[in-house]
Order: sequence, then structure tokens, then C-alpha cells
Amino acid sequence: MTMQSIRRIALFVLLLLPAAATGQEVRVIEHELDNGMTLLLVPRPGDPNIAAGWVAKVGSVNERPGITGVAHLFEHMMFKGTHAIGTTDIEQDLRIIEELDALKAEIRIEEAHLTELQRLGKIDDPQDPDARSPRHQELLDEFEALLARQSELLIKEDFSRVYTGQGASGMNAGTSYDFTIYFVNVPANKLELWFWMEADRLLNPVFREFYAERDVVHEERRLRTDSTPIGKFREQFDAMFWESSPYSWPVVGWPSDISGITREEALAFFDVYYAPNNLAATLVGDFDPDEAIALAERYFGRLPRGARDPFPPRTREMPQLAEKRMLAHAETNPQVVIRYHSVPDGHVDEPALVVLGQLLNGRTGRLYKALVEEQEVATGASGGQAGFKFEGMFELRGTARQGRTPEEVEQAIYAELERLKSEPVGSRELQKVKNQNAASTFRDLEGNFQLMMQLLIRENMRGWETINTDPPLYDAVTAEDIMRVAGKYFTPETRAVAVYYRKGGAAAEDERFTDLDDEERQQVEQMAGMIRQMNEEQLDQMLAGADQMRSQAPPESQDMVDALVELVRERLAELGGGQ
Amino acid sequence: MKRCRLLLVVLLLAPPPVAAQAPDIPAHPSDLAFEPLSFEPPSAAQHRHTLPGGVVVYIVEDHALPLVDVSVLVRTGSYLEPAGKAGLAALTGSQMRAGGTASLAAADFDEEVAFLAAEISSSIGGTMGQASLNCLTKDLDVALDLLFDMLRRPRFDQDRLDLAKSQTLQGMERRNDSTRGIEGREWGRLMRGDAHFSTRPATRASVESITREDLIAFHERYYHPGGFIFAVSGDVEPGDVLAKLGARLDGWPASSDPVPDVPAPEHDPRPALYGVDKPDVNQGRVSIGHLGTTRDNPDRYPLLVMNDILGGGGFTSRLLTRVRSDEGLAYSAGSSFGMGTYYEGVFRVAFQSRSETVARAAAIVLEEIERIRTEPVSGEELSTSIASFVETFTRNFSSAAATAGLFARDAYTGRDPEYLTYYRERISAVTADDVLRVAREYLDPEQLVMLVVGNLDAVEDGDPDNPDYVLDELASAPLMRIPLPDPFTMEYPVH
Repeated sequence: MTMQSIRRIALFVLLLLPAAATGQEVRVIEHELDNGMTLLLVPRPGDPNIAAGWVAKVGSVNERPGITGVAHLFEHMMFKGTHAIGTTDIEQDLRIIEELDALKAEIRIEEAHLTELQRLGKIDDPQDPDARSPRHQELLDEFEALLARQSELLIKEDFSRVYTGQGASGMNAGTSYDFTIYFVNVPANKLELWFWMEADRLLNPVFREFYAERDVVHEERRLRTDSTPIGKFREQFDAMFWESSPYSWPVVGWPSDISGITREEALAFFDVYYAPNNLAATLVGDFDPDEAIALAERYFGRLPRGARDPFPPRTREMPQLAEKRMLAHAETNPQVVIRYHSVPDGHVDEPALVVLGQLLNGRTGRLYKALVEEQEVATGASGGQAGFKFEGMFELRGTARQGRTPEEVEQAIYAELERLKSEPVGSRELQKVKNQNAASTFRDLEGNFQLMMQLLIRENMRGWETINTDPPLYDAVTAEDIMRVAGKYFTPETRAVAVYYRKGGAAAEDERFTDLDDEERQQVEQMAGMIRQMNEEQLDQMLAGADQMRSQAPPESQDMVDALVELVRERLAELGGGQ
Repeated sequence: MKRCRLLLVVLLLAPPPVAAQAPDIPAHPSDLAFEPLSFEPPSAAQHRHTLPGGVVVYIVEDHALPLVDVSVLVRTGSYLEPAGKAGLAALTGSQMRAGGTASLAAADFDEEVAFLAAEISSSIGGTMGQASLNCLTKDLDVALDLLFDMLRRPRFDQDRLDLAKSQTLQGMERRNDSTRGIEGREWGRLMRGDAHFSTRPATRASVESITREDLIAFHERYYHPGGFIFAVSGDVEPGDVLAKLGARLDGWPASSDPVPDVPAPEHDPRPALYGVDKPDVNQGRVSIGHLGTTRDNPDRYPLLVMNDILGGGGFTSRLLTRVRSDEGLAYSAGSSFGMGTYYEGVFRVAFQSRSETVARAAAIVLEEIERIRTEPVSGEELSTSIASFVETFTRNFSSAAATAGLFARDAYTGRDPEYLTYYRERISAVTADDVLRVAREYLDPEQLVMLVVGNLDAVEDGDPDNPDYVLDELASAPLMRIPLPDPFTMEYPVH
């Protein structure tokens, strides 16, 4: 099961939200268990539901070469069940898992041999069955036979089945650079079920189907990346832009690592990063906080504190000394992506950079007006600050209009940045952005689910309190601040530019997905499944929220929002006639 | 290596921590006891108001945040487009918002809305038009002025219209690129035929022929108070907001010209195997199904449960469990049993699979359709499905806006809101026998239409590892290839 469907939509969108000075204070009941786990509670009487979730403060940024993708793989494994969930016979299941691991250890030795032969040019493909030794094949056959035996004990999708059967909905999870998040909506009378399920998978997890799931992730990666025109280039652009930082590798991981991660490595990762002292849980909705705290003590209180708190990633980004350029020929519209190294989440310069990005975006923003309407050089352009936990960047992008080149778009974007450096922004223009921030603050509190996600993500970054303390900072940004940060960060030597030319002759695929990278595609395709199950009213709501989502999504997620909107419209059209 | 393995053995053979479960914690979630969920759905009648001119307004208050939503449903749709003007309704809807108003040029209207941090939208779909506003309470008056300016006096700026038309035409060029788009289009034609509004495509000729005058006329004909139903929610007092709406509707005459009913398709789908060839893709998209029923069918509740167990229920449904989890043949698979508002919906199973495994996955789908028609569903499947419907019912009212929108849409489509009071009861009463009965009555293997979009040669070659599955043998007749139409004229080449 792949469970990361709303990854970037919710995660990045919420992450980058500025809030406004006039916004109302969010009151949160905070409770820390003895084992270090944090509980954030927002009781909100209303419809009888509870948005429930928890965050593990771990993402791909905590990985190292060799185990890239392990955080994401773990997210998959967390749905594989526990001692009580997912099997008809736990004793036998555990015995088989142990035997599988032993076989896999021997298979790894054989595989290492084939990899060496390939390195030396003696074979072309280490996957070729003809290259295997008889012993290797025998081990593989034994492995298969064991898997078949295990599958007789498995109860597929049991974790999901238990939740669904009790009326829970929207169970999902997401992995990003900085965190992994698990969430579900439960009916108000099922609060204890949530505690039972989540505590059980933290306390008694069984990472069954580990090797199969590794292959699933690997296959997904290969399919998406190989078949996505932009995805594979974006991945290389990331690796080029980040010199030494762990943000340089994709969340999904490098192929060699995904197919190589061992269970021992995965278990060690779990022990450090899924210990309660590295977790925070949030409930928003119709519940009694005293009851929730009592349940948390009873269920989560059993989790043993980790041996030590995880260390933050050590390797920092090396300062960039010279401009980098990537010239790519892809099956896509000619376009340009420009990135500058900026600041991480919460840096004192971030509010000014975020507001600067907002001045550029939207139908009434500077980029659209200048590049699309006045100069007619682009069909669309956007930009914005993306502050991760340990580093940050400012990304701008624009797609060339027919007959214009990506280089022309690039120059037009630079001209707008130069304007920001030399002319103070007008007071009405600045006020417009601040008004939008003020309204967003309220809009973001509208749904229980949204608020839960915001609190978890903020807690992961700098603490949930930033939902109340950030707004005044954004409201205080002045025209001078914007000129200052424009001058400070938009310098040619700290930028990287990806220029995409259309590659001739190649056939297009699903058009609305061609601008998406592998992860986004995957998410959109999974969202497509969810969209199919929504009723008209839910679809309408989603559509109604689309403009807002678009105005707040970081530039790299705009394509995904567009793709989602199209799917929703398509589905509404389907329902509108016949259904 | 040895040492590693030893370590692992130690880890895994440690007594299962379940034993350490505190005595008051049940061993399995099925042992947990839950209080019944008490929930009474809000009543539509209690939220219904009528303005002096007869316009219906649903108002659901929620003062938690200083925000207001106003939505208006408009009696119109693309089914009302004049002949040769396919695309007019969608353009009218979007250009109302994009093209400015009598008093504000297009860019100025955008700027006003942005400065207020309001959200204003407009669209026209197949059978309904909609416009909406979301704003801060303090800005409600000025935001309503903008909304009504748009509703009543759209400017239809010529430059914006030209841009939208050229974008529509550019989009047409890609019509045959996406297998998803092709599948949706051809499935619609197979189910509804070519003569129905729902399958009538916009063409270069139809879009080029659309003028600003056409937009003005279409708007004039359908946008008037007689065609409106309002849904208002959020931080409002009913009396106050009714007065605000009444004042803005004042002096706007309602047309007495009745709007024609939504026409039903006059087409009987022909059961057969159809294919559209896209040689350059490695995934096949498949739809299998036939006509469904209408919303008012008394078997609605057993049908909901039946479809949920078959393929509607996501990860726990039979189709997804078998096709995806057991056999690993597809990333997604699911079914829907359409119960249409105006005419029969469509029963459809859809999945994507690698070209080689399309036939095998399709065979599994047919098996599962047969199985649900011949064997009663298990008690666990039934109770899981019913619980899921019953317990997620409250999600329909998850916000004031959702509640008001639901009431307004039901009013628009003429649905008696009474169903909300007995929905959970009817669902809970569904038995395994009911499910079997409706599966037999409403799923008909003889009537199944199957559509495959993908690399047809590879699909027909099938899987060398599983030579038993051959696509053509799943149907009674050989695959009929549907050619790709010219994307601009939508004319299909004749063989």
C-alpha cells in the first residue's frame, strides 16, 4: 500500500503559510508524557468527528548515503500491521520473517558478487537470471516459497480494514524532507480506537512484507521517474542545487538504496526516530481533553523513551560560489526554473522573503502582469520562498509562450527581481498581500484536519506556538525589508538555473501530469482515487478551496494543484450529468 | 554476517510485547466497547428562508471565525447550448468572473477582489451554474456588491474572451494525448451515444463561432433571480444577510420563461469489447460496465452497499484487494454504481494495469462481478461496509458551508431532504440477501461493455507467464478498434 498521497499538497502548502497579526489566537492544550511524547489538543465541539494525527520528527534529511529513502519506506511499513493486526498466526509469521531475513542475507552476498561483475564489465545486467549461480537461484526459490507460505497467514490491508469498519476515514500518511506524518479522521465515539491503533503500531509493529514493499517503492520510483518528463530532471536539479546538504537526494531515495536497505538498518532507524521523545500527536475536534489525556497516558505512556534524542543532521550546505546551469531537453513545454539559496524556516529574513514571493504571485501579482499580460513572453510564472528546517531556497519559474524562449522568460524574471531591489513596493500593493495573509489565517482554521496538520508541522519545525507568534512578523514587513532581502539573496553567484527545451518527436503522455515529478504524480494519481469516492458536495468544496490552495502553494506545487483541479472538474462533470 | 543474523534472531524472538499489554488494554480493537454516536442531522426546513421575490436561501450560521460563504446555484448548464455552440456555457461561466463588470474593467475587478482578500468564482457545468464568494465578515457588503455586479452586469471583456478562446483551442490540440482523457471521452460515447449533450464536444468551429454577443445572450437568458438558489454560511445573522441579498436582488426581474428539463440520452449501449490504440504507453486503462439506475430507486441503499463491497470501498473493497494487493496487477481499481439525478447513471469498474496484465486483471474483474451475483457477501464485509456508511454520514455536515451547500443542491435537483433522516436506518437494514438480490438484478454480465485504451497489440499479446488469459476470449466478439478523432473537428475517420 502506498500511503503518501497528500504529501506535498498538505505539507508544503501548510508549511509556508504566513499568518496575520489580526488573526485570532489558537488555544492549544499541551501535555507532555513522561516518555517525552508531546500531545497537542484542540477541543472543538461541532460535528462529531476528530481529526487525529501524529508526526515523527524525521524525514529524508535525517538519512545518509546508503539508506536514502528509508524514511519514506518506513512510512509504507507502518501500515503493515502489528502482532494483533495483519496476521492469523503471529508466532508462525515471526518465524517466517526471521527465516526470510536469513535467506536475504545470503542472497545479498550473491547479489554483491553480480554487482561486482557488472562493475568490471563482465555482465551487463545483474538482474539477468542467466547470470545467477545455481546457489543464488536456489536461495531465491526458497525465498519465494517462504513468501507463499507467509501470504497464507497475512490478512491484507488489515490496518485499513479495522479503521474503515469503525467509520474512520481519510487514513493516510506523508513523508517529506523534514518529517513523516500519519493521520486519520475518527468518529467522536472512536477516540479510544485511534489510541489503540496508533499505540499498537508504535509498540508492537511487525514490518512484514519488508522486501516486497521495498520492491513496490522501487518500482513506483522507476515508473514515475522514468516516465515523467520533468521528474527525472528535477531530481538531478535538486542534486545539483544542493551541494552538500541532505536535501540533495529525493525523499523517495536513490534506486540503489531503495533496493538495498536491510531490515537491520530499517529497525535501527525506527528505534531512534520513532521513539516517543521524537513524536508529537494532535487531536482537533469533538472530544473531552481530560479523557484524551487519560487515554494518552494509558496507551502512549507504555512506549519506552529512546536511548537518546536524535541528533540533527550534521552536514550543512556549502556556500555556493558560482552560478550553475542545467540545460535539459525534455518532453515538456519550454520553461525555466531559477533557484537562489535563501534561509531556513523561521529565519529573521524569512517573513520578508515570503511576502516578496506573494507580491509576485497570482493573477494580480507582478510576474503574471509583466510576463503574461504585458510582455506576452510566458503563459504562466510564479515564485516563492521555501524554508525547510535546516536550509532554504527561493524558487521562480515560468513557462515560455509559443514562439518565445525560456531564456527570454528568464531575463524577464530577472528584470522583475531587479525592480524589487531598486524600487520600494507601493503601500497598496503591500497591503493587498497583508490582507490576504490576514484572511488566510482564518481560512486555515476552518477545518479540523487543516488545523491538525498545521499544528503537527509547526511542532516539527519550531513548535506549534508559531501559529500565534509568526503572524505579527509577516504583518510587520516593510517595503524597505523587501528591498533589503531582494538585494541580499538574489545574487547571480548563488543561483542555479534549469532551462528546459522541448525534445522533439517524443509522444506526450497523460498531459495534465507531464509537469509533475515522480512523487507529485504518484500523489495526484492517488488523490484521483480519493476524488472518485467523493460526493459532489465534497468535490465542490475542494474546488472552492482550489484558488486558495493555488495562491498559497509554493511554486513547485502549482502544477500539482492544477492537475488536481482538473481531476475534480472532470469528476464533477461525470457526476453532474448522470449521477 | 553470522553475527548480524544472530542479533536479528534475538530481536525477533523476544517475547511479543503484547504480553506486556496493561491489563485494561484489550488484545484486539474488536474488544473495545464504544458509546453509540449520537448525532441528529440538521434540518433543511429549519435553515430555509424565502426572499420576497420567492428566491430560496439556505443559511447555516457558524460564528467561530469571521468568515462568510455565499454560494448561488443557477438554473443553467451546457445542455442548453444552442446548436453549433458547444463550449459556450463553460466560457460564459468563466468569463463572468474573468471579464470584468459594467463598472469595473477586468483587471480592476481582479484587483478589487484581491485587495479584499476575497474569493469570487463563477462556472457553468453540464446541468448547473454556480457562483461563490468567501470573504471576511467585515467586508461582506462590498464583497456582495462585487459578487452581484458580476452576476448581473458582467462586462465580458473582449480581450479576455479572445485569450480564453485561444487557450481552449490550444487545449484541443492535446485531446488525443492523454489516455485518461481518451478513456473518459470514449466511455461516455459508448454509454450515452453521440447525440447527448454530455458527449457533445466543443470543436474548433464551435469555439471560433462563439462571440461576445453569444455570451451576453446566454447570460441574459439564465441569470436572473428566478433561476437562483442561495447557500449562505458562516459568520452571519439570517435577518441581516437576507436583507442584504434582498436589497441586491431588488428591481432585478425574474424571467418567466421556463428552462427546459435536462434531456436523458436516447442510446442503448452495445455490449462488446472496444479498444483505442495508443502504441506509446505501457499501461492500459480499462473500463467495464453498463447502465446503472436513477437516484430515486428504492434499491438505492442495498446498491450502495453492494458497490462498496465490490469496488467502491477503497483499500478494503474486493476489487482493490484482489487486483492490487493479491495479484499486484494494478495501482488502482475500483467501481461506481451510478444512480443519476436526471437519468440513469452508469455502473463502471475502472483500473489501470501494465499492458501484458490487462487481460488477467480484466478476468479478475469479471470473476468478482460474477461472485457478488452468486454468493452472499460475508457478515464481516457487510458490517464493515454498513459501519463505514453510517459512521461517515456525519461528514456531510462537517462544516456550515458543507451543510448549506448540501441543502441548496438537494433543492436545486428537487430532492426531498427527508432522506437525511432515514439514511442511516436504511443503510443499516441492508442484509446479505439484499446485496445478493440487487447484484443479480442490477449487474448483468451479458450487458457489459469493455473499453481498453492503451497499446492494443501488447494488450492482446497478454502475459507470457500467464498464457491462459486472453482479452478477446473475455468477450463474445473480437475487439473493435475505435480510431482517434481529429482533435479539432472531432470527426472520426471511417475505415
